[in-house]
Amino acid sequence: MPAYHVLDLSSSQMLMLNIALLALIGLGLLHGERRLEDGRRLALLGLLALFGIAGRVLLAPLPNIQPVTLIVLLAGMHLGARHSILLAAVIALGSNLILGHGIWTLYQALGWSLVGCLGALLASRQDSISTLLVAAALSGFLFDFVVSLSILHAVGPESLLPYLVAGLPYDLLHAAGNVTFAAWMGAPLAEMMRRHNLSELSLEAGEGVTSPA
Amino acid sequence: MSELLALLGFTLAASLVSFFLFSEPNRLKAITALWLVVLIFSAPLMNTEVAGISYRLVTEEGDPHHGLPDIWDGEQVVCIHFPDNSTNAEYDDGLHHIDSNGTDFMTAAGANSTGACIGGFSGYENGLDLLLDATEQAGGTLEVVYSDSEWGIFVTSIGGFDPEAQWGNAYWSLYHGGAMSMVGIGDLALENDSVIVWRVDTW
Repeated sequence: MPAYHVLDLSSSQMLMLNIALLALIGLGLLHGERRLEDGRRLALLGLLALFGIAGRVLLAPLPNIQPVTLIVLLAGMHLGARHSILLAAVIALGSNLILGHGIWTLYQALGWSLVGCLGALLASRQDSISTLLVAAALSGFLFDFVVSLSILHAVGPESLLPYLVAGLPYDLLHAAGNVTFAAWMGAPLAEMMRRHNLSELSLEAGEGVTSPA
Repeated sequence: MSELLALLGFTLAASLVSFFLFSEPNRLKAITALWLVVLIFSAPLMNTEVAGISYRLVTEEGDPHHGLPDIWDGEQVVCIHFPDNSTNAEYDDGLHHIDSNGTDFMTAAGANSTGACIGGFSGYENGLDLLLDATEQAGGTLEVVYSDSEWGIFVTSIGGFDPEAQWGNAYWSLYHGGAMSMVGIGDLALENDSVIVWRVDTW
């Protein structure tokens, strides 16, 4: 039997393969979500978590570019803060089981939770694409700042500023990645979340609001 | 900096072309994708610029970790400095900083030498073990060649550079904790926060 494992792919070939895999998983998410009945919020959260974990792991070769921040931001906007925090924690832990788990997982979960809360604060402007783009860019900087605070476990506060400055290019890449994901995936993801938001469905059905999140 | 400005100009011009070439919603998609690709490819340039600023913000002196990223404080580090006129092509743009998982996360163009520091290690007790593992993490570009004689381990070449073969009166010199090591790398006992430095000296 041929030893296929000896076929070494270059880093760019591996990245192309990963993007193709992520596209397949994204299609699976779309297909799976369409088969869900409206209002199946927890099932949708599971699919989003799976997509977030796969996106973060498969795009790891790209510096600080992954779809998780946008997913959590949109979840905050459309599903509420509590569900976005749940999503943030599950994606942080799930992806770090593959990428490496440590004290930073807590900070990543916290960072993405804050992004989700930012989304929830902007829920009234969820139909504005410009609001989404600006919030996506800001979320990159917010998340990176929170995660950077984890180095205070190892060094004194005087070292934080040089560390933050050294990380600026990565913050910029994170923000640019978020904006790009928002432009490409923002509308379908938002539509998906709206379809499963119980409070919106209740309003549409004229049953009144029960619980926003 | 001029390269970054040129890239910025090019991207703005390309964005303008995209603006007229595409209609919504594809216009936004095209422009954001263009900026993302440009930023990814210009990341090494941005890193170099920013690393110099970050370096100048580090003010600690008199400690072997001085000038190294703070995330490596209290951990073991190996630095290899190539001579000015015989640098390694992989590292000729500054001092690379490579984490213990092999990630080359920062290049300091403002540093006094070119080469690489590989850090974030812990638990090593012997200098040779740390050196071999650290250079392996750098991806093989800093391969260490050494001979084992009755006098102990003698490093002849690092990253393809053999000072004696090149210059005759030069050798790879070992520093530990900021001072020249009194023992060879094979006998060097490490501390928890040891910094090993290799640079070329002459006799």
